[in-house]
Amino acid sequence: MSRSPTNTARDPEAVAKLLRDLGPQLRRGEQPSPSPSMLASGVPALDRLLGGGFPGGRLSEVAGPLSSGRTSLALALLAQTTRAGELTAVVDAADAFDPASADAAGADLERILWVRAPRLREALRCAERLLDARGFALVLLDLAVADLRIAPATGPRLARRAAGTGTALVALSLTRCFGTAAEIALELSPIRASIDGVPALLEGLEVEIALVRHRTAPGSRTTSLRLRSIQAA
Amino acid sequence: MRIACLLLPDLPLAAELRARPELVGEPLAVTSGAGPRAEILAVSPEATRQGVCVQTTVAHARALCGALRVQPISPALERAARGALLDVALSCSPRAALAPRAAGAYAGEAAAYLDVSGTSALFGSEAGLAAALTARARGVGLPAGVAIAASRSVAHIAARKLARGGNTCVLPPDRESDFMAAQPLDLLDPDDALAEQLSHFGLVTVGDLLALPRHALGTRLGPDVLELIDRARGEARELPLPVPKQRALRESIDLEYGIDRLGPLRFVLQGLLSRLLARLGTRQLACNEITLTLELSGGGRDVRRVAAAAATLDLRVLIQLLSRALETHPPAAAVEGVCLATEGSALRGDQLDLFRPAGPAPAVLGRTLAELEALCGRGRIGAPAVADSHRPEMFRLGPFEPTPAGAAPPEPASSRPGDDPALAVRALRPPVTAQVRVARGRPEAVRSAIANGRVLRLSGPWRTTGGWWTPEERFAYDSFDVQTSDGTVSRLRLDRVRKIWQIDAVYD
Repeated sequence: MSRSPTNTARDPEAVAKLLRDLGPQLRRGEQPSPSPSMLASGVPALDRLLGGGFPGGRLSEVAGPLSSGRTSLALALLAQTTRAGELTAVVDAADAFDPASADAAGADLERILWVRAPRLREALRCAERLLDARGFALVLLDLAVADLRIAPATGPRLARRAAGTGTALVALSLTRCFGTAAEIALELSPIRASIDGVPALLEGLEVEIALVRHRTAPGSRTTSLRLRSIQAA
Repeated sequence: MRIACLLLPDLPLAAELRARPELVGEPLAVTSGAGPRAEILAVSPEATRQGVCVQTTVAHARALCGALRVQPISPALERAARGALLDVALSCSPRAALAPRAAGAYAGEAAAYLDVSGTSALFGSEAGLAAALTARARGVGLPAGVAIAASRSVAHIAARKLARGGNTCVLPPDRESDFMAAQPLDLLDPDDALAEQLSHFGLVTVGDLLALPRHALGTRLGPDVLELIDRARGEARELPLPVPKQRALRESIDLEYGIDRLGPLRFVLQGLLSRLLARLGTRQLACNEITLTLELSGGGRDVRRVAAAAATLDLRVLIQLLSRALETHPPAAAVEGVCLATEGSALRGDQLDLFRPAGPAPAVLGRTLAELEALCGRGRIGAPAVADSHRPEMFRLGPFEPTPAGAAPPEPASSRPGDDPALAVRALRPPVTAQVRVARGRPEAVRSAIANGRVLRLSGPWRTTGGWWTPEERFAYDSFDVQTSDGTVSRLRLDRVRKIWQIDAVYD
C-alpha cells in the first residue's frame, strides 16, 4: 500500500530515508518562474518559429543588414500590439521610423510613443525609463545604426529592467549586440527583391529568418517570408 | 460659521529657515540690512537663549553670541512664504485669504484665514482639520499654528495665544467668551494711543473691557474702542472669504552675489523648485510649464518658459529641463536673482476599463513623458502621424495622449489576415547624397554610404512635385526603387531643384 504524500510529509523518518536514497538527485525546491506572456506578431510563420511570439518581460533581438525585413517585422508586431489596445513605444536611435509605413502596416499610431533619441546613450536611457513605467506592452529599440558600440553590461541591464515588467523589449540592429542577455535572437537576411511587371514595380522582398537563439527552446531553425509592397497592392 | 486662522508668528525667520533649512538649530538673526549697525528683526530660539533679542544691532548681538548667523531680510522669501501659507489654506478649503499685514508688535506675523464650515467631516473633526493644516504647513517648510473659532478675529487672537510653535487650538462656540475674557488686551493689537488710554483706565484683560458699558466707552474713547470691542466679541464686520482666482505660484530668491556658472545656479534652482513642488503637491497640482526669470547683474532680465511634455512633480525631471534650457542658452550676465513661477495643472486622471489593457498609470506616464523629453529635447517625443503632404519626408509628431482602448480599429485595406506582412521603409533623415552613373536617363550604378554597386533592377521614375508657389518650399523629385548589387533595395531620387541624387529611404 502506497503512502499518501501528506503522510510522508508528517513522517520525519520517511523523509530522512528518501533524502538518503535519492541523495544528489534531489534539487532544492524552487517556484518555477512563470512563463512569460507572448506578444504575437501577427505573422504566422514568425509566430510559429518563435513558439507564439515575442516574450513579455524579456529582451529579444532582431538583427540583419539593410533590406533584410527587420523593420517590416517590427511594424507588423507594432500593428498587432496596438490593434489589441496596448500601448507601445519606439525608441528610435536611428531616426528611421516612418509613420506612413506604420500606418500602412495597420498600426494604431495614436498608441505608439515615438521617441527620437538624439544619441545611443539617450536611447538606452529612454528604453530603461519606458520599462520602469510599466504598462507599455512593447518597447521597440531601433539600434540599426552604423558603428554601434554597446557596453557589455548594457544587455544584462536592459534584460534585468525588462524582467517582471511584462514589457517585451525588442531591439533591432545590423548585427547581434546583446549576446546571451537576449531571450530570443533572430537573424534576417535578404533572399531576393521582386521588381517585375510592365511598368516595373517593386512587388516585394523575400527574406530568410533564422532563429539563432531561444533560451527555452534551443535549436536553430529558419523560415522564409515574403514582404508585400504596399504600392504594388 | 467656522473660521480657521493659520498663523506664522515670525514670518522673516520662518521664510529664511524655509529657504535655508541647513540653518535650523543654529543661532540665527534676521536683520534689516547688511553691516554691523543693521537692526535685528527676528531671532531664532537658539539665539534667544544666548541673550540675542530683536531691536538691537548686529554688533551688539555678536558680542553676546559669537556663532550668530546673520541674514538680511528678504522680501522675495517672505512673499514666497506668504504664498505657501495661502496654498496650505487652499488645500483644505476653497475659501481662503491672507490676512492684511499687521502693524506694531505683530508686524512680523503672517496669517491666512479659511472658511472651514462643513469641511471638518473630511478630516474627522475640527481638531483633525487643524492637525492636517499644521502638517501640510510643515510639509511646505512653515511652522504654522492653527486656531479654529466662529470668527476671524477670535480665531486670530486664539492663534496668537495658543497656537504658537505649530500647535493647534479649537474653540467651541460656547467657550469663546470665557476664553476671550481672560486674554490680555494687547492680543487685540490696539493702536498705541488707545492702548495707553485703556491702560490709564486700569483695563488689563479683554474681560475688563467687555465689562464696561459699550456706549459710554464709545463716547469717551471714540470709534476705535468700539471696533476693539467688536473684535473681542467676534462681532466685527467681516466680509465672506473669497474663492481666489487661479494664480501663478512663485518662488524667488535674491542672491547675495552674482552667479555666473551653471553648477551653482542649478543648486539654487533645485532649492527653489523643491519648494515650488511641495506647494504644488499640497494643492494636488502638478507642473507642466515653468517660467524662469533671472535678474542679471547690470539690471537686465532673462525670462524663459520651460515646458514639460506632461504635468509632473518629479524634481529630477524638471531640474533636467531647466538645466538643458540654461545650457543651450546661458544667461548673458551673472545672475543676482531667480524666480520660478508656474500656474500648476491638475494631474491626469484616467477611467480604466475592466476588459481592455490598462497601460501605465496616468501620473507615471506623465512623469515618464517629461523624463523622455528632458533626455531627448523638446519636440522629439510624441505620437506619430501621417502628414497631409506630398513631400515624402514629411511627418507629424503630436502629443502622446492615447484615448482609452475601445474597439479595435478596422483592418486597413492593405492588410488582411493571412496576407504577407507589408514591406516597410526606413526613412533616412537627412537623405544620403549618392553618386549615380546614369545611362539613357536611368541610374546604372550607385555609390553612397547606404547602397553601393551596379543597379540590378529598378522601377520608376515616379515624379513628385509640389510647393511650386514659393521658392523655399518648391520640390521636384524623380524617384526610383532600385536594387543594387550589394543587396540593398532603396529609394533613390533625383532632386530636380538642387540637381543632386539622394537616397531618402531603404526598403527593409
